[in-house]
Amino acid sequence: MTYFLQNVVNALQWGSFYALIALGYSMVYSILMLFNFAHGDIFMVGAYIGFGVATLLVALSAGGAVVLPGWLILVLTLLISMFLTALLGMLVERVGYRPLRDAPRASAAITGLMIGIILETGNLWLVGARRVSFPSLIPTATYDLGGVILTNKKIMIVLVALAFMLALHFFVRRSKWGMAMRAMAVDYVVVPLMGVSINAVARLTFAIGSALAAVAGILFSIAYPVLDPYMGIVFGWKAFVAAILGGRGSIMGAALAGFLLGFIEIFVAMAFPSTLRDLIAYSIIMIILVFRPHGFFGEPYSTKLRL
Amino acid sequence: MRAISPITPPAGKRPLRCRIFDPFRETPLLAWLFGAGLAVLLEHLLGESFAALVGLAKVPVLFGLMIILSKPLLFPGALLYVAVIYLLPLVTVALLLARPANTAAAALLRLGPAVSVLFHLALFYAVLHFWAEISGYREMTVKFTLIAVLLTLSLNLINGYMGEFSCSHPGFMALGAYGASIFSLSLFVNDPLFGKALLPAFLGPWLFPLGLVGGGLLAALGALLIAIPSFKTRGDYLAIISLAFLFIVKSLLENLPFVGGPRGMGSQPDYASLPVVFAWTAMGVWIMNNYVRSTLGRSLNAIRDDEAAAEAMSVNTRHTKMTAFMFAAFWAGVAGGLFAHMMRFINPATFGVQRLAEMLAMVYFGGLNSVYGSIVGAVSLNLLGEVLRPLELFKWIFIPLLLILVMIFRPTGLLAFRDFDAVRLVQPRSRDRQGGAP
Amino acid sequence: MRKIPYLLLAALVAGMICSPLAWSKGKSIKIGINAPITGDNPKVGEGTKFAAEMWLADVTAAGGIEVGGSRYPVQLVIEDNEYKPESAVKATTKMIIEDEILVMVGPQASSQAVPAGGVADSYATPMISPWSTNPNTTKDRPYVFRGCFLDPFQGPVVANFIKGEFGAVKAAVLYDVAADYSKGLAEEFKKAWEGINGPGSVAAFESFTTKDTDFSSQLTKIKNSGAEVIFTPQYYSEVALIVPQARELGWDKPIVGSDSWGSADLIKLCGPACFGLYFSTHYAAAGAAGPTREFIDRYQAKYGYVPDDVAALTWDSLRIVQAAIEQTGKLSGKIENDRAAVRDAMAKIREFEGITGKMTFTEEGDPSKCAVIVRITDQGEFAFHKSVCP
Repeated sequence: MTYFLQNVVNALQWGSFYALIALGYSMVYSILMLFNFAHGDIFMVGAYIGFGVATLLVALSAGGAVVLPGWLILVLTLLISMFLTALLGMLVERVGYRPLRDAPRASAAITGLMIGIILETGNLWLVGARRVSFPSLIPTATYDLGGVILTNKKIMIVLVALAFMLALHFFVRRSKWGMAMRAMAVDYVVVPLMGVSINAVARLTFAIGSALAAVAGILFSIAYPVLDPYMGIVFGWKAFVAAILGGRGSIMGAALAGFLLGFIEIFVAMAFPSTLRDLIAYSIIMIILVFRPHGFFGEPYSTKLRL
Repeated sequence: MRAISPITPPAGKRPLRCRIFDPFRETPLLAWLFGAGLAVLLEHLLGESFAALVGLAKVPVLFGLMIILSKPLLFPGALLYVAVIYLLPLVTVALLLARPANTAAAALLRLGPAVSVLFHLALFYAVLHFWAEISGYREMTVKFTLIAVLLTLSLNLINGYMGEFSCSHPGFMALGAYGASIFSLSLFVNDPLFGKALLPAFLGPWLFPLGLVGGGLLAALGALLIAIPSFKTRGDYLAIISLAFLFIVKSLLENLPFVGGPRGMGSQPDYASLPVVFAWTAMGVWIMNNYVRSTLGRSLNAIRDDEAAAEAMSVNTRHTKMTAFMFAAFWAGVAGGLFAHMMRFINPATFGVQRLAEMLAMVYFGGLNSVYGSIVGAVSLNLLGEVLRPLELFKWIFIPLLLILVMIFRPTGLLAFRDFDAVRLVQPRSRDRQGGAP
Repeated sequence: MRKIPYLLLAALVAGMICSPLAWSKGKSIKIGINAPITGDNPKVGEGTKFAAEMWLADVTAAGGIEVGGSRYPVQLVIEDNEYKPESAVKATTKMIIEDEILVMVGPQASSQAVPAGGVADSYATPMISPWSTNPNTTKDRPYVFRGCFLDPFQGPVVANFIKGEFGAVKAAVLYDVAADYSKGLAEEFKKAWEGINGPGSVAAFESFTTKDTDFSSQLTKIKNSGAEVIFTPQYYSEVALIVPQARELGWDKPIVGSDSWGSADLIKLCGPACFGLYFSTHYAAAGAAGPTREFIDRYQAKYGYVPDDVAALTWDSLRIVQAAIEQTGKLSGKIENDRAAVRDAMAKIREFEGITGKMTFTEEGDPSKCAVIVRITDQGEFAFHKSVCP
C-alpha cells in the first residue's frame, strides 16, 4: 500500500509538468487551431531564464548587495522568468505564426519546429555545452508519512502547478479576455467581426502559454536541477500527446490528460518491467484514442477543417 | 490576392531572367542531358589537371559550394572550375545540339513514350553515375539524397496529398530497415545475432529486392495498425496516434534482443549500391507519381479539400485514406531498407523525433502535394546539410531560418501543387515540331 | 555606376588568377576529429575538441610531428557528427576522401563509432575511437582501434569491487535502456554479479529512456526490492539526478557507478549528495601525479574546468596516433601507403604510457588497461581507492 501511495506521489509530481506544458499547447491548439511545436523549447528557454535570474539573484544576495531569503528569490525568479518567457512567446507568435495565419496549418507547425531548433542551437551557443545546475533555493525537507516519503519541494511543485491551473481556468471562464478566447475557439471568422482583435487574442494566448511553460521550467529545474539545451524536445512531444488527448476546445482537459500521462508512465514502470515503459504506456494511449477518438473532453470534429 | 504589377517592361529591356533563358527555349531535355554528359566526360578527362591549374587541391566535390565557407580564398578558382568544366559544355551543347536533339527526341517519342522516358532516365543515370564516380563522398551524398527523395515523397502523400499530419514516418522507416536487415542478415551473412547464413551469399544481391519489399510490407502492416483507429474520424488524431506509434516502435526495437536492442544491428551486406538505390528511387517516384495522378490519388485530394463532398461524390473515404496511408508507409519502409544497407548499421535511436523533424522539413520546404517539390526539398536540404558543414553550430540556425522564410513567403513550400509529367518532360521543344501549338 | 559590374568581374578574374597562390604549400599531416559538436550530447564534442586543440598546440609548438628526421606540420580537420550515426558516416567519408586525413580520432559514442568504423575500415584508414565500448566497433576491423576498456572487463571489476567492499548479496541496477553504453555495461554487471552471488541476486534491473529526468518509480521499486546497493552506469548528468532522487526517497545505501561518472561536473551538478560514492574509471584526478596531473592542470587552466574522461581518453588516443606516426619512420606522401603504415605501427604499440593507464592493443584493436576505483571525497574530489588490472 505504501508502495502504491509512494507512486501516486511520484506520479502527481511528474504529471504536474506534463499538465503545465500541455496547457500551453492546448491553448494555442484550441484557440488558434495550430500546433505550436516550439513549445517544448520555450519550456527549455524558460528553465534557462529561470536559471539565469536565480543565479544572478543568489550571487547578488551572497555578495551582500541585497540580501534576500531563498523563498523570495524563488518568487522573484518565477515572476521575472514568466514575464521574459511571455515576451519570447509573443515574439515567436509575431515572427513564426502571424505571417502564416492564412496558410495551411501544417506550415505553421513547421515554423514552430524550426523556431524550436533555433532556440536549442542558440542556447547551446550562448550557454555552451556544459550542463548547468539550477541553484538550490530552498533547503529540502523530507517527511516520512508511514513509509510514504514526501519532500517539501514535491508538495510545493504540485501545489504551485495546481494554483496556476486554477488561475488559468478562472481567467478563461470569468474574464472578458477569457471570453474572447473561448469565442475565438468556436469561430475564428465571425468573432473578429465582433470587434475582437485576433492579433491581440493570439498574442495573449502565446504569452500565457509561454508564461506557464516558464513556470513548468522553473518547477522542473527545482525537481531535476540539471539543465541542457535539448531537454525540451522529447518532453515537448509527449506533452503534445497529452494536449490533444485532452481534446480540442478543452483547456482543462489538457491539464487532466497531462496528469493522466504522468500516472500512466509512472504506474506502467511500477507494474511492468520498466524497459517496456514507453511501449506499454503509448499502447494504452492508442487504445484510449480508439475508444475516445475526440480525446476526453473535446467536441467531435465537424468535417470542415482548414487543410 | 497579390496585385499584379501594371508596369510591363519596355521592349528590348526585358527581365534578366527572360534574356538568359530565351535562347534555351527550344532546347529539349535530351540536349541538356547530352551537355551534362559532356561536362562529366570533361571532368573525368581534365578535372584534376584543371583543378590544379586554378589552385584547387582536388576536384571540387559539390560544385565548389563547400569551399565558399571553408576556404573563401579558393572560391574564385572553384567558380572558374564550375564555369569551365560544367557550364561551358552544358550551354554549348544545349545551344548547338538543340535542333538535332529535337529531331532525336521526336523520333524517340514515336517509338513510344515509355521507350523515350526510359532512354532519358538511362541517360540521366549514366551522367549521375559518372559524376558520382569521381569521389566516394559524392557517391554517398547522392545515395543519401536519393533515399531522402523516396522518404519525402512518401510522406508528402500523407501530409500533402491527403492533408493529414502524420508523425509516424520514422517508425515506418525503422520497420522497413529492420525487416530488410533481418532478411539479409539471416539469409546471407554469418552473423552473431542470427547464426550461420542459410543461403549462399551470391544470391544476396538478387534476392535483395524481396527483402526490401518485405520490409515495406512490414511497414504497411504497421500503418494498418494506425489507420484502423485513426481514420474513423477526421481530425488531428492521426497526429498523436502516429506519434504514439513512433514511440512504441522505438521502444519495441529497444526491447527486442534479437535485433540488437539499443546497440542496433550492424554489418548488413553492402547491397545498396548507387544503381540499386537509383533504380528503386526512380521506380518509387514513378509509381507514386502514377498513384497521385490516378483516380485514387485524385480522390485523396478531394478528401483533403472537402471530405463530405468527396463522400457525396461516391468516394469511399475511409478506404481511400487507408490505402494511401499504407502505400506511403510501404515506400517509407523500402527507403528504410535501402538506408540500412547503405549505412550498414541501424539502431533505434536513428528513428526518433529528430528524424521526423528532418523529414517534415524536407516535405514542407519542397512543397506540398507535389512530386517536383519533394525532389527539390530532399535534394536541396541534403545538399545544404553537406555544404554548410563548415558552419558547425550555426548550420542549425541557418537552415531553420531559411525554412521559416520559405514558409512565410511561400506557405505551401517552394514548388507546391505541381504535376509531374514525364512524357511532357521528354518532348521535343521546337515550335515547328509541335505543329501549330501556340 | 555602370562600371560596378565590370569592376566586380575584374576582381573575380583577378581572384581566379591569384587563387593558386592561396594554395597551402608543403606537405602536412591531417588528422580528422569526428566529434558531436551539436546534437544530444554536445559536452562530449566539446571535451574532444578541446583536448584535440590542446594537443595541436603542443605539436605545433614542437614544430610538428617528427617522422624519419623531418618535421611535418599537423592540421586538424574537425567535423561535427551531430551525435547521429548517419552524420558520423557522412563526416567520416568526407574527411577520408575530401580532406585526405591520415588518421581519424573519434567518433566517441558507439552508436556513431560502429558505422563510422565500417566506413574507415573499408577505405583502409586507421581510426581510433577514444570512448566507444561496444565490441562491434573494432570487431573484424583491422583498421579500427579504441582507447578505452570494454564492458566485459568493467562489469566484473565493479561487481567484484562491490562484493569486496560492501559484502552485499543483493544488488539493483538502474540504467538507460536506449543508450547502448549503459545497457551493455548493465548486462555485463548483471552477468558478473549473478556469477558471484548466484541467480536472482540482482534484485531489481530497472531502466529508463534517454532524456528522462524522473526516476522515482524505478527507485521506489528498487527500494522495495531489498537490494543493498545500486549500480548505475549512467552519464554524470543523469547521475546528478538519480542520486539526489534516491536520497529523497530514503535510500541511504551505497550507489556505485562506472567510468561515465568521471567528470568534474558531476560534483557541480550533484553536490554533497554524491560525496562518499565510488565508481570505476580510467584515472583518478585527485592525487594524480606526473603527466596526468600536468594534463589536468593545463586543461583546467585553459578551459576552466577539470577534464572529463572523454577529454583524457581523446588526449591519449591522439598521443597514440602521434606515436604511431612517428614510428612509421617515413612518410611516402602517398596517402594509401601511409595510412597502412600508421595502422601497422599502431597495432605494434606496446605498453603505451597514457595518462589513463598503460595500453597495449590486442589483436582486435582493443587496449588492455587497468581500471581504477575512485572514491568521491567529502571535498568532492575524485580520490584513488584501488586499481584493478586485467
